[in-house]
Amino acid sequence: MKLSKLSAPTLLLLPAFIVLAVFIVLPLMFSLYSSFTPFRLTKPDTLWVFIGFRNYVNVLTNAEFWVAFGRTVLLLTIALNAEMLLGLGLALLVNKATRGQRILRTAMMFPMMFSPVLVGFQFKFLFNDNIGFVNNALQSLGLTDRAIPWLIDGNLALFSIIVAEVWSSTAVFAILILAGLLAMPKDPVEAAHVDGCTPWQTFRYVTWPYLMPFAFIAMTIRSLDVARAYDIVKIMTDGGPAKRTELLWTLVGRTAYGDARMGLANAMAYVAILLSIVFTVYFFRKLAAARQQIGAEW
Amino acid sequence: MNRLLSGVSAGVIMLVCAMGAASAADLPGKFEGVTIDAKLIGGQQYEKLYERIGEWEKATGAKVNILSKKNHFELDKEIKSDIATGGITWCVGSNHSSFAPQYPDIYADLFGLIPSEEVARFVPAVIDASTLEGKLVMLPRAQFDVSALYYQKSLYQDEAKKAEFKAKYGYDLAPPDTWAQVSDQAEFFAAPPNFYGTQFAGKEEAINGRFYEMLVAEGGEYLDKDGRPAFNSEAGVRALDWFVKLYKSKAVPPGTTNYLWDDLGQGFASGSIAVNLDWPGWASFFNDPKSSKVAGNVGVKVQPAGSSGKRTGWSGHHGFSVTESCGSKEAAASLVWWLTNEDSQMLESAAGPLPTRSAVWDHNIKAAEGDAYKTEVLQAFQEAAKHAFPVPQTAEWIEISNAVYPELQAAILGDKTSKEALDAAAEKATGILEDAGKL
Amino acid sequence: MDTNASHRLRRRLLKAAHFVGLFLAMAVICLPGLWIVLSSLRPTVEIMAKPPVWIPETLSLDAYRAMFSGAGQGGVPVWDYFRNSLIVSVTSTVIALAIGLSGGYAFARYRFKAKSAIFLGFMLTRAVPGIALSLPLFMLYARTGIIDTHFSLILTYVALNVPFTIWLIDGFFRQVPKDLAEAAQIDGCTPWQAFWQVEFPLAGPGIASAGIFAFLTSWNEYALASQITRSVNSKTLPVGLLDYTAEFTIDWRGMCALAVVMIVPALTLTFIIQKHLVSGLTFGAVKG
Repeated sequence: MKLSKLSAPTLLLLPAFIVLAVFIVLPLMFSLYSSFTPFRLTKPDTLWVFIGFRNYVNVLTNAEFWVAFGRTVLLLTIALNAEMLLGLGLALLVNKATRGQRILRTAMMFPMMFSPVLVGFQFKFLFNDNIGFVNNALQSLGLTDRAIPWLIDGNLALFSIIVAEVWSSTAVFAILILAGLLAMPKDPVEAAHVDGCTPWQTFRYVTWPYLMPFAFIAMTIRSLDVARAYDIVKIMTDGGPAKRTELLWTLVGRTAYGDARMGLANAMAYVAILLSIVFTVYFFRKLAAARQQIGAEW
Repeated sequence: MNRLLSGVSAGVIMLVCAMGAASAADLPGKFEGVTIDAKLIGGQQYEKLYERIGEWEKATGAKVNILSKKNHFELDKEIKSDIATGGITWCVGSNHSSFAPQYPDIYADLFGLIPSEEVARFVPAVIDASTLEGKLVMLPRAQFDVSALYYQKSLYQDEAKKAEFKAKYGYDLAPPDTWAQVSDQAEFFAAPPNFYGTQFAGKEEAINGRFYEMLVAEGGEYLDKDGRPAFNSEAGVRALDWFVKLYKSKAVPPGTTNYLWDDLGQGFASGSIAVNLDWPGWASFFNDPKSSKVAGNVGVKVQPAGSSGKRTGWSGHHGFSVTESCGSKEAAASLVWWLTNEDSQMLESAAGPLPTRSAVWDHNIKAAEGDAYKTEVLQAFQEAAKHAFPVPQTAEWIEISNAVYPELQAAILGDKTSKEALDAAAEKATGILEDAGKL
Repeated sequence: MDTNASHRLRRRLLKAAHFVGLFLAMAVICLPGLWIVLSSLRPTVEIMAKPPVWIPETLSLDAYRAMFSGAGQGGVPVWDYFRNSLIVSVTSTVIALAIGLSGGYAFARYRFKAKSAIFLGFMLTRAVPGIALSLPLFMLYARTGIIDTHFSLILTYVALNVPFTIWLIDGFFRQVPKDLAEAAQIDGCTPWQAFWQVEFPLAGPGIASAGIFAFLTSWNEYALASQITRSVNSKTLPVGLLDYTAEFTIDWRGMCALAVVMIVPALTLTFIIQKHLVSGLTFGAVKG
């Protein structure tokens, strides 16, 4: 066949290309098309009505959408940064441990075993204001005599969601940064020590530059994956109460299936995809830069 | 050709009707070699009934192939996806009175498929609630839901409390009969953060439904007779204010706007709630020492009335439907009948849910003789069922709920006044109905 | 002498601080998990009690017993879910690895036009939220009649996992010196033999780490699975969790029991592979 005439890389990339084209790009084309129709699930015929950019105009002029958009960016920024800092701390702690590395590393990855759905339920129960673990603990320790409405107050609810998200995803950062720590050549650190650097200086000017690419990789992976948080938020608050924790994903999910307005939901989803593309490309650039820097030094 | 075909199919339908009418006595019938694809609601309390499917298969010679078993919301999502892809290839589906108006066209009229004397054996109000535009779209199973008031008995037997209450409010402390009394008592009993007067479901269709029934009890309408949203009336503001007031006075748990049914049930069972409007399914859970701290201390009473004198009574029920595209509607109808017949309803209601057949009601009340709690529960809910009414029968009910509930929450949490919130909600609801071409 | 003593004291303090920090961190990580295990063993009335019951009074395996019993007694088809999850996760991981291996090799070993654009394009397919894919995928599968089969779920997860797999494996192959394979070929190996006998074994840890990420993603995925699966034919464990929710209730204890069943295999696998995992990520991901 002609197949053998294709160049080696084309041949090698072909399976990946086919899989992604059929199962990601094709469905996306369909979503794109339906975002130009008033498609309602319960009225299949509406798929053939073309309404141009009306859905997009609706979405882009909708204040609620922009509030949700802004809140999503805020949540991502806080969560990703917190995950990175905590992941770094965790990796340093585990790396320093002299015994039980194997157990510690497995334990460190423990939250990755939890399906996001489960994480959602778990934290919903932990943060329940009346019979939840957190309030019970605070009340038993005498730290408060109020039932703190964790999932009700706008800021607290967002905080609770971030806690759940951070708990479930810090492991990804920790494991990648730990990998970086293990790969680091020992000489520069020792040299810095001999030169009389303080531990902080050693970390800041020697260790951290080595770790940066790993941190960016983790960032990139996480920003690719971050819509997984949908499952968590859906179960914890589903955007409520009174839209105080509404995020793009909960808004899209409800519009798509609850209201059955697929066309409109897909228009929203496209704007959301744009957001994650921007995040991803940004971190990808950073990663490339950091890699080059290290490449020069290694 | 077309005319010939439709003539033939009309003939077939007439034949089916005639056979149906004639064969009331010999249901379930014989359907050798027929396979019925079904989508059923899954979940602990619904499963027991499905064991009876095997008996039906044996009796009729047909096979049942269960395509999917999911909880309600997932099933709704799945049915919508099927409609969107034109994939209604199955015959029997679980249905619910709140969801049914969304897809009226896919289900067949059971009036023509089930003998009328069988239909007459169901509680008439439930058959009305299952009828959309003259079509009986589902046959109700023994999963009828209307809420009655559960309360902790001991609170009403404490002499000191009684005297204190009388001095403060000027009437005797007794299980409440009006929502105004519930409000007084809730504030009286509340001692946050360990004890609250009452609670309410605070999100999604749940809060909208609770608001809806309160609105009716206050003498208002959700949609007027032209189908236009009318809940931002004075009655609407009164209804919403009832929730707002309780929240402000901290008589309900602060998390209540994030509660759904399970949180409410667990809350009452935890012993930290005085009175609780809740569904019949919880009755045995609340009185079981293994699951509830208030076991033995639970009283049940018909739901209170609003200022118009009308009682609340938002109700819903589960049923089974036969699809319009089903190849063997008779067999499907027979299965639906089987799952809702007296034996099935007795089996299912023995675990607590309310039946929808008059004879099963009588049977259950008789069977409960000697069990004071069970008798109290059944009597309260039989009374409650008399005041029951379904949600407005519009296909947009769920969508309207999704638009309205954040506004209700905003009022309850104090972000908006009740009037502002209801006006905004009515505007959104009007927009939805306009988009759907209903106005 | 004095400085020495204070030095030693400081070292000890640091060590203690490290220990305490590590302990606290591990506690925060593991407590919610232990809480789930505990909840699966306690009666509901105790879990939901107010005021709280801190020390469990009774522990029992009732939830597990109920889970494995028949329908109507609180049973869920655990074995079916478990089998589905295992088949789907393992198969999709293996296929994703195979595709990732060939794709990653191409990126690492060859120069071609628009290479970095293609690479970025591949990665971006992972950025698509599941919710935007669920309905079109459903339509695709419904039309082709493969809805509610292992096959459709496997294909979906392969597509989800391929980008990341390619990335990790690409980075890893770059680490393996080109000369090795060339030397092997000079020694008389075919390119195919050279790949399998020289380059592949060296890339092992990278493949292991890509594998565990792919496996965990498939094992835990919910949003798409809830749309594509319908019955015990293909329902996976995360979708099965929702069996414990009904219209009005959540059986939290039962859900916890199922969660334990779900977590244990994943944990075991991770424990076995984690050594490779760390070294795999080390070489694989960075030196691009």
